[in-house]
Amino acid sequence: MNLEQVIDDVRSGMIPARVYSDPELFELERRRVFGRAWLFLAHESEIREPGDYVVRRIVDDSFIIVRDEDGRVRVLFNMCLHRGMQVCRSELGNTSHFRCPYHAWTYKNSGELIGVPFHRDAYGGEDGLRRSGMGLLPAPRVETYAGLIFASLDDDAPELADYLGGFRFYLDFYLRQSAEGSELHGPQRFRVKANWKIGAENFAGDTYHTPHTHASVVEINLFSAPKAAKRKEGALYFADRGGGTSYKLATNAGMRANLRSIGYPDEMIDRMQESWDRGHRSLVGQAGFMPSAATVLPNLSFVHNWPIVDDTGRVTPFVSLRLWQPVSATETEVLSWFAVDRAAPDWYKAASYKAYLMCFGSSGMFEQDDVENWASITQMAKGQMAERLNLNSRMGLRHDGGTVSEAIDWPAPGRAFVGFGEYNQRELLNLWCALLERDDDAPGDNGSHPRSRAAAID
Amino acid sequence: MAASADDRTLLPYGGEIYNAVLDFLYREAEILDERRHDEWLAMLTDDIRYLVPVRVTSAHSLADSALRDMAHFDEDLYSLRKRVERFATEHAWAEDPPSRTRRHVTNVRCYEGDSDADVVTRSNLLLFRSRGDIHDHDLLSATRTDALRREGGRLKLARRTVLLDESVLRTQNLAVFL
Repeated sequence: MNLEQVIDDVRSGMIPARVYSDPELFELERRRVFGRAWLFLAHESEIREPGDYVVRRIVDDSFIIVRDEDGRVRVLFNMCLHRGMQVCRSELGNTSHFRCPYHAWTYKNSGELIGVPFHRDAYGGEDGLRRSGMGLLPAPRVETYAGLIFASLDDDAPELADYLGGFRFYLDFYLRQSAEGSELHGPQRFRVKANWKIGAENFAGDTYHTPHTHASVVEINLFSAPKAAKRKEGALYFADRGGGTSYKLATNAGMRANLRSIGYPDEMIDRMQESWDRGHRSLVGQAGFMPSAATVLPNLSFVHNWPIVDDTGRVTPFVSLRLWQPVSATETEVLSWFAVDRAAPDWYKAASYKAYLMCFGSSGMFEQDDVENWASITQMAKGQMAERLNLNSRMGLRHDGGTVSEAIDWPAPGRAFVGFGEYNQRELLNLWCALLERDDDAPGDNGSHPRSRAAAID
Repeated sequence: MAASADDRTLLPYGGEIYNAVLDFLYREAEILDERRHDEWLAMLTDDIRYLVPVRVTSAHSLADSALRDMAHFDEDLYSLRKRVERFATEHAWAEDPPSRTRRHVTNVRCYEGDSDADVVTRSNLLLFRSRGDIHDHDLLSATRTDALRREGGRLKLARRTVLLDESVLRTQNLAVFL
């Protein structure tokens, strides 16, 4: 694999098929993408009380995400300082301490080492092993936004707020529908034989697949909006590290009318009026665009849809978050959460949960058909012929480099186009290229990541 | 919920009720393997609740290993009917071409019912699923607790709770009924 050539091709919108299957490239992604980007690990609502924890991964690295006794969120590398055993092996719970199964080194839920068996006999006490100041290795960087806990393995990563940039506006749309914020439920976890980028690209901007891939859900009247004519009226926006799709609702109808039309009850709309800023009101109420799917670089996606949830024809929206957690170049673990505003009434939470289960996640009627495509792409990309094929991802671009349509007036951060086009997928992969081509390896400055890696790959 | 088998009286193996339940479960497995989904819907009561909670790896005991607030399926007749209607379209790609499935039902025990059900059953399920000509097959292992009710002289499924044995499903979707 010639990395420079791959990057040139991707930037021209012609994607070498092997980027979806190449193990060498995946090794590079592991360090340069997942070793540098801000990565979503958990939501604060999953660890509400002191001692609450979940265990999540960044590729191969296991972390405990825990609220310590002082209420502070910690992200701790789940490897014992002594012999390297995985300290916490359940995936969620509540505890004041983590005790390694091997020799019982014991850590407070802040990560601090407080227990070493036979400390005096075995180590000569503090003279041989000074416990104070020792603790489970923290993730190099941890920051939160809208309850989302992100970590970066790169000490030099930009501030999270700067990294997300304008995309924070859209996170507020999904997760700040009231001052109380959201609660997450789940995740469902399932493994798919697909490269992690395919889902990320799809959620970032693929409105073009909806009319065909998801024809079945329209035919059974679960959802009327994905019809081709509807989808191409939506705007595709991109702001800094993320972008997404939207559906077109009525222009100048006002935020209340448009939110009502997709099933939000008035009391929730009242809270959105208070929680959101003028940009949201203008986007939803005047311009009439309703955010739907989205992706933040590299592998966190969102979806917002509004199916018919019962025989009376009631339409109810839902929000889902999903992480495309790479297992290898050709396999991904999907973690899919249901998100709902904490202040929402119970009946709404129940109906929205039902809407989510019918549409997305392990059994979702949208998601089932998506995964069938993505696994097939990955399988096809493994072969020799795929090495000769650059996939056409130039929708919306003319040969002269101009765009098929002009960017529209957009009352929110970033730029937006109306109509079909792979603008967002290209933006996302261009950001991916920028991470991949930086050869100032690597995170940390201990010299453990040899620069020769890039040369070896070439 | 009526579906727990705990503390109930075990009904005799080979008895009339036991045989009727066995017939129900075997017939259901065959109907699902043969993708006769409309016939399957007819085996459900109108107030069916079909629940497949998410399993997690929990410390010390299995008691907390099923999430209470997240499931793979949490269905009523409306949502099950929609899923079946979808299979009948020509665009349900997840099962088109269809998987070849085989449901192996074992360890069947029957317990006395209650006001909500005539009989409660426990059974184990091993579902083999093969798609296309490249992918490895999927295996889903689970135990099921069902509540069956007699309606119009026939047993129907009123409640089902499926406890899967995986926390991370090694199958790309649940476009199959368990």
